[in-house]
Amino acid sequence: MAKKSHGSLSRMSRKENIQLTLMTIPTVIWYALFCYLPLFGIFFAFKDFTPVPGESLFENLFVNSPWVGLRNFSYLFRNPQYMDVLFNTLFYNIIFLVAGIVIPVTLAVLLAEVHQKKFTGVVQMALVLPYFISWVVVGYCIYGLLATDVGQINGLLKMFGADPVQWYQSPEYWRGILISLGIWKTSGYTMVIYLCSVNAIDRSLYEAAALDGANFFQRVRHVTLPHLRTTIATLFILGVGSILNSDFGLFYQVPLDSGALQSVTQTLDVYVYKSLMLQANFSFSSAAAFLQSGVGCILLVIANLITRKIDRDSALV
Amino acid sequence: MKQKHGSYVRPQDSSLGRTANIIVTAFFTAVTVLALMPVVLIIAASLSSEESIEMYGYRYIPQEFSFDAFTYLFTSGDTLPRAILNSVIVTCSGTVLGLAVMCPCAYALSRKEFRWGKLLTVFLLLPMLFSGGLVSSYMVNTQILHLKNTYLALILPGMCSTWYIMILRNYFRTNIPDSLIEAGKLEGVSPLRSLVSIVLPICRPVVMSVAVFQIFGYWNSWYPALIYIASNHSELYPLQYVLVNIERTVQAMTRDAANVSGMEMTTVPGMTMRMALVVVTVLPIIVLFPFFQRFLKTGMTVGAVKE
Repeated sequence: MAKKSHGSLSRMSRKENIQLTLMTIPTVIWYALFCYLPLFGIFFAFKDFTPVPGESLFENLFVNSPWVGLRNFSYLFRNPQYMDVLFNTLFYNIIFLVAGIVIPVTLAVLLAEVHQKKFTGVVQMALVLPYFISWVVVGYCIYGLLATDVGQINGLLKMFGADPVQWYQSPEYWRGILISLGIWKTSGYTMVIYLCSVNAIDRSLYEAAALDGANFFQRVRHVTLPHLRTTIATLFILGVGSILNSDFGLFYQVPLDSGALQSVTQTLDVYVYKSLMLQANFSFSSAAAFLQSGVGCILLVIANLITRKIDRDSALV
Repeated sequence: MKQKHGSYVRPQDSSLGRTANIIVTAFFTAVTVLALMPVVLIIAASLSSEESIEMYGYRYIPQEFSFDAFTYLFTSGDTLPRAILNSVIVTCSGTVLGLAVMCPCAYALSRKEFRWGKLLTVFLLLPMLFSGGLVSSYMVNTQILHLKNTYLALILPGMCSTWYIMILRNYFRTNIPDSLIEAGKLEGVSPLRSLVSIVLPICRPVVMSVAVFQIFGYWNSWYPALIYIASNHSELYPLQYVLVNIERTVQAMTRDAANVSGMEMTTVPGMTMRMALVVVTVLPIIVLFPFFQRFLKTGMTVGAVKE
């Protein structure tokens, strides 16, 4: 009986299949236009883009622009500014990758121990909120704190007799500021994801551990963390895959695009944007974008493979 | 408060002692305050009078309360109403269009017997791995699709997301019993009809969840405007981008104060007004957030579940 109903499920009428296919058409068109069509742009990275006004994009790219092989890439790597940009991108992302696991997991483990529902509800709400506030607004908040003449912090410094700091001219503070803001914005959101996993753990496991005399840290180590393994691995693999991507808003809008801060705030996305919009340097910025995408893709696959070797269930595929 | 401590230390649940619990609670109170600090400052600043800001700067405790900035914003000119209208248009149409496109696709994918299910999943996942990058997206959107300086440039690029489609699909799969679909089939109901009349009503939480993510996403978006809307089409600026633009002008003015004409000076709103504008931008989110939060959780937890 069960087998029969399964049989009728697995065979779908031709008509229904066509109807379902039609339902996917709008999405397929959207992906074709906005994800797959731009893929031809990979060619930009291997061409010296010299558009002739009035001709179509494809003619300009494939007929009017000569192939230059890897020249765009070699220019890129010989550019000292690019190496800074690359370093910044990796630097921030590695920190975000580690902090993005350690901090939310710690918060989730601790918050799960607080059993006053109203309190945890308010805490969760307050911590998730930053995730839904745009970097533009955050930029203004930070300006309110750090503005040289009217900022709250310089106001406090003056009150205590210290010298005011020209924050937007002092790169030495900004690595710390940007890291804190990145953590501030996403930790709460990630924490809620982990908290759901923690709350799903069978409480009897903790009781058993408590009966065996395990203290709080032992219980976290031997009960909670093993249960979070899969979620941690998933978020880690995705993080590795986007190791060369950065939050444009954080690195461009929050420092107010201040020239003095460029050495510590410029990441690949900002660099690509600027070389495209300000210098109209198509080949250069697509070479940079190509690297970003290609390296991310390769790293994602490697990270997934390694995870699979260690623990099959935690890998993405 | 003291006698209530017993209520949140239940020995069978919590492995922390009473003192540790108080410390953890205190810690989270501090973290919560810290998380809200930046936002509180702009609200305080927007409620201060312009003179007090000029004299004392932005302060957590306003030296002189005043609603002038808000009254001025809403009574002078049509820049702000226009920007709000743009943001609302983009947010509403983007969210509705996005759901209208994604839900049918997610439904088809949620049917295990659908012939192209696997292929289509790969088709949707690949762009998460590899993208053409900003340059070619820009060229396609401006030169082939001719989106520059249109509302569509603000709406279309962010309309679909593989992530949302997968959230919808997973939820449909686990919450719609096969028998219900079978019953519909026997009565000769088309898949689109059964999506609208059976699936969506049952799966309202996840649809709301994706809708809320989209609403917040569109309301907060300014990057498309930065790239696709030229400065001579400022009538299309969404609220967020108006803020970006004001801030750019202020930066340019401070950089070379000598070259700024008197006219440009007057187009820049005062310090309190800028903060009032920020509050107008962020207030809908803060006000709606408590109501939307339970929907967000659905999406976040469904998304964390693989396959």
